[in-house]
Amino acid sequence: MTGALRQMVTCHWTARRLQRYLDADPAAPLTPGEITRLEEHVATCERCSEVMRQHRLLHRALSLWSGRRPVDPASVDRMRTVLDDLIDGRQT
Amino acid sequence: MSEAITPDDAARRRAFAEVVEPEIEVMLRVARSITGSAADAEDLVQESLVRAFRAIDRFDGRHPRAWLLTIVRNTNSNMHRRRRPIAVDDWELIHASRPAFGSVESPAAEEVYVVQELDGALQAAVAGLDPKFRSALVLVDVHDLSYAEAAAVLDVPVGTVMSRLSRARERVRKALGPTFTTTRGEQS
Ligand SMILES: [Zn+2]
Repeated sequence: MTGALRQMVTCHWTARRLQRYLDADPAAPLTPGEITRLEEHVATCERCSEVMRQHRLLHRALSLWSGRRPVDPASVDRMRTVLDDLIDGRQT
Repeated sequence: MSEAITPDDAARRRAFAEVVEPEIEVMLRVARSITGSAADAEDLVQESLVRAFRAIDRFDGRHPRAWLLTIVRNTNSNMHRRRRPIAVDDWELIHASRPAFGSVESPAAEEVYVVQELDGALQAAVAGLDPKFRSALVLVDVHDLSYAEAAAVLDVPVGTVMSRLSRARERVRKALGPTFTTTRGEQS
C-alpha cells in the first residue's frame, strides 16, 4: 500500500469513529487501542484535525444555546413540592 | 385519608426522592422541548412524577435519567389522544432569547468571537435540518443528553440516535463550511 492510500484509509477509519471519540458516550465507547490509533492519526493529519476542530466548535456553540433559555427556578421548586407531596403520601 | 407508611416504605420513598430530585430540571427542559411551552412542561413533568412514583417497584436503580425521560415521553403520548411523533422544537424559542455567554462559565474571548461568528449560520443550518435529525442534535448537543437518554425521549434505538446525530452534525458542518474557513486564521 502506498503512503497516500494508507493515509486515505486511515482518514476514512478515523471519520467513522470521530463522533464516538468526541462524545465518549458510555453506550458506544471506543477501545483504548482505537483511541490511541485515532489520536495518533489526528496528530499528523491536517484534514482530520480540522474536521475534529469544527465538530468541537459546533458542539460548543450548540451547547451554549441551552443557557439562553434556562429553566425557571420557580418551576423547579413547584416540581420539588410535587415530589415532596408524593413521598409524604399527600398525593397518590 | 393518608395510608400508613411503614419504615421500609419510608426508606424507599426517600430513595426515590434522592434519585428523582436531581433530574427535575432536565425533565422540565426536555418536557418544554416536547410540548413547546413552559406551562405544558410543568403539567407533563407533574404527571410524569406521579407515574414514576407509582412505577417505583419496576425501576432497577440504574440510569434514572433515561428511566424518567421514558416516562415523560410515554406520559406525553398518553396525555394527547392522537399519538404524534415527538418533535423537539424549542430551538426556535431558544433564539427568541439573547445569548447568555458567561451565564454558566466564561469561555475564552477568542471562543466567544468564533462562536458568535458562527451563530447566524448555525441557526440557519439547524433550521434546514429534517426534524428527525434536528431532534437528535438538539437533545444531545444543546441539552447534553447521552445517546441512551435521547433514545428514551425519541423512542428509537441508541444506534438510530447515533446515525441521526452523525448525519445532522455532518450536514451542519458542511453548511457552515465557508464560515469555518473564515474563523480558522483568526483564532490565534
Ligand atoms: Zn486523516
